[in-house]
Amino acid sequence: MITGRVGRLKGLLLIGCVIACLGLPAMSVAQWKAKDTEWASYAADLAGTRYRPLEQINAANFNELEIAWRIKTDNFGNRPEYKLEGTPLMVGGVLYATAGSRRAAIAVDAATGELLWVHGEHEGTRGGAAPRQLSGRGLAYWSDGKDARILYVTPGYQLICLDAKTGVRVAAFGNKGAIDLKQDDDQEILPDLTTGEIGIQSAPVVAKNTIIIGAAFREGMTPKSMRNNKGYVRGFDVRTGKRLWIFHTIPKKGEFGYDTWLNGSAEYTGNTGVWSQVTVDEELGLVYLPVESPTNDFYGGHRAGNNLFGEALVCVDLRTGERKWHFQLVHHPLWDMDISSAPILADITVDGKAVKAVALPTKQGFLYVFDRVTGKPVWPIEEKQVEVGTVPGEWYSPTQPIPSKPPAYSRNGVLESDLIDFTPELRERGKAIASKYHLGPVFTPPTESKVEGPLGTLTVGTASGGTNWPGGSYDPETHTVYTFACTACAEPIGLVRAPKTVSDMNYIAGTAGEEVTILRGPGENAGADSPMPPKKRSAGGGYVALNVDGLPLLKPPYGTISAINLDKGEIVWQVAHGETPDVVRNHAALKGMNIPRTGQETYNIGTLVTKTLVIAGDGQITTTSEHPRGAMLRAYDKKSGKEVGAVYMPAPQSGSPMTYMVNGKQYIVVAVSGGAYSGEYIAFSLPAE
Amino acid sequence: MRRGKFRIKDCWLPRWAAAMLRPYVVGCAICLVVMVVARAQEPASTSRSVWDGVYTEEQATRGEEIYRKECASCHGDTLAGGGGAAPLTGGAFLSNWNGLTVGDLFDRIRKTMPQGSLGKLTKQQDADVLAYLLSFNKFPVGKTELKKQVEFLKEIRFEATKPATK
Repeated sequence: MITGRVGRLKGLLLIGCVIACLGLPAMSVAQWKAKDTEWASYAADLAGTRYRPLEQINAANFNELEIAWRIKTDNFGNRPEYKLEGTPLMVGGVLYATAGSRRAAIAVDAATGELLWVHGEHEGTRGGAAPRQLSGRGLAYWSDGKDARILYVTPGYQLICLDAKTGVRVAAFGNKGAIDLKQDDDQEILPDLTTGEIGIQSAPVVAKNTIIIGAAFREGMTPKSMRNNKGYVRGFDVRTGKRLWIFHTIPKKGEFGYDTWLNGSAEYTGNTGVWSQVTVDEELGLVYLPVESPTNDFYGGHRAGNNLFGEALVCVDLRTGERKWHFQLVHHPLWDMDISSAPILADITVDGKAVKAVALPTKQGFLYVFDRVTGKPVWPIEEKQVEVGTVPGEWYSPTQPIPSKPPAYSRNGVLESDLIDFTPELRERGKAIASKYHLGPVFTPPTESKVEGPLGTLTVGTASGGTNWPGGSYDPETHTVYTFACTACAEPIGLVRAPKTVSDMNYIAGTAGEEVTILRGPGENAGADSPMPPKKRSAGGGYVALNVDGLPLLKPPYGTISAINLDKGEIVWQVAHGETPDVVRNHAALKGMNIPRTGQETYNIGTLVTKTLVIAGDGQITTTSEHPRGAMLRAYDKKSGKEVGAVYMPAPQSGSPMTYMVNGKQYIVVAVSGGAYSGEYIAFSLPAE
Repeated sequence: MRRGKFRIKDCWLPRWAAAMLRPYVVGCAICLVVMVVARAQEPASTSRSVWDGVYTEEQATRGEEIYRKECASCHGDTLAGGGGAAPLTGGAFLSNWNGLTVGDLFDRIRKTMPQGSLGKLTKQQDADVLAYLLSFNKFPVGKTELKKQVEFLKEIRFEATKPATK
């Protein structure tokens, strides 16, 4: 007996020992950290900085950059793709990316571009019905020092876990390396798992062994119904794929915020996903979720109330998904402002006090800055009266929160003073176009579209404009946020009564005099699994082109990069980004005029910041005496904003640039595509000598 | 980094012969460069551009009907694009295709459009849509239709601005 007991004890000790012995190295290797020379997650790090402290490529040699390697994405899918938005990762000399109309995951040698492996999921009808197709924005890397895994979400909303070395599915994860994200989501995805509308195109993040996944839907301007699937956020165990937590972006009955949806509208309203990048503070164990608009983008008559957590920044616990704090940027959203950018974590010093902050670039051109522990604004954000609209059945918030600091870095309303003003004649013509619309500052509500006018509210910094999905960059050395903004992306928002055959909503986006139809976004039905559904459209009249002889209706700058110091809450510099468009440079009406660089109207420009430079490419093709038909990848001195170099690209930047070092050499990789040019990742480096 | 220079010194020729030849060699090289550049700028076969009346009114009308049915729900009634769908008119569109050919634009349409019902349109229908795009963008109408064979379309240069001589 005694011996037996001792024996048992010995056995337990032995087991304990084995656990300890196994556990110790596991714990020590669990501290795997990406090096400064690597780019281990979509935005360089979990803080969303898009920053690497590298300086081999600098102001003195940027112009010498040459193409080290390139990889076309045409064959990663059964049709080429012209909208490559990915930012690759680079860990241990291997570059990982999503690519092609299949949204394949690929691994290439980071020094040479040689393809190491490729993995694609053939999802058939499910992939073809997905709301967000094509190659997506990227993937996530995880390692415990021994195992290394790649995670990405397919167009059909499956989370795939691959062995980073081989590209083969990790059998121990989920169901043979995959998790069906349409299941175990605290809601039934309707109408069925195959065609049910939900997906995501952004890259997953992994923090402390937890994978965080949001959701996206089709464009939300003209939904068929006020009822839609909801975009909850979930955490999964990176080793097993087990669901760890869920956060209801539209609260369930009894949960905080449910009462901000009047008449039970939380029950049926959908969307409200987190489709942009998620940011995590691993040390604090906090996750920052930028939540998008509820159904539908521009009409909220079926969802009276403030609609939490629509267009709110929500901070949740990394381990449990429980809400710690939130701040709603837009009450009762009506402008499709979403929250389109990754939150940026910044340790700053304000009035002599250290603040752990989170900064949020937005479409509306405000950089919102909060204490990321408490959620308190670093500078006052005041509720201010805004215009109350007149659309029948709509519910309006009388006030909206407006940051007192930093000042808006991008135009976020259209007044007569924002119109084209190159010449008095052009200005008059611009005014004639604008007179058909309702104008006003930020948060001027949409109008019902009428043939006699207004056709709608003319806005900027709503659905497009300002900073969109590429987000900004952050320099932890100088406490400065760098971000691109489209300052002339004009968006007319008109509402029309929806025929019951089109939508069960009272109003959807449209223009008086036009047939009311469902508008579709790029990436919808465009991927490799896409079938060929028929659709109809017939002629109408009433739309007004928002340009004057091809010239943008709003005056320059059309696109800018701003440097915003977070210690002071001030804009340090702002430059027009992008070559002056051909139409402006060559326009007959502007001959002989000296027009400073205007920048470009485009919404997909992401920035990269290094030890000395801010780097971003043009979003449009130009042909000038300095370069043939193409686009330039530009470098700015990060202190002054002065352009210090530019290198030629055959097509516009369509995915944000990243950088890394391999074998003592610095590379910059950027996704280019558009027009006649199909998707390609191009790696630049300095010549050998 | 530095470009290699053509150095006659390294040849087997005697120094005096090399010295005599040098101007010719350099001259020839310049000649070649000029010819190559000239060819690249204006290949002999592409003598027509979108300013030469390369489609007919009737074709553009056919194209408009197809456009409204198949393209307008993304690219818009005013061809202005939106929500990420590329504009098919205005400065960004014109500079995007400037310096390429109508065939390149045709190729792009054939390969990717209509999004979601790829392969639905015939070559003739795509050529008609192309005619409508040219007409909407105010390129002059002509007496012959745009052909549906890409090899012909590749011979029509896409030029954003009207050439001064025309």
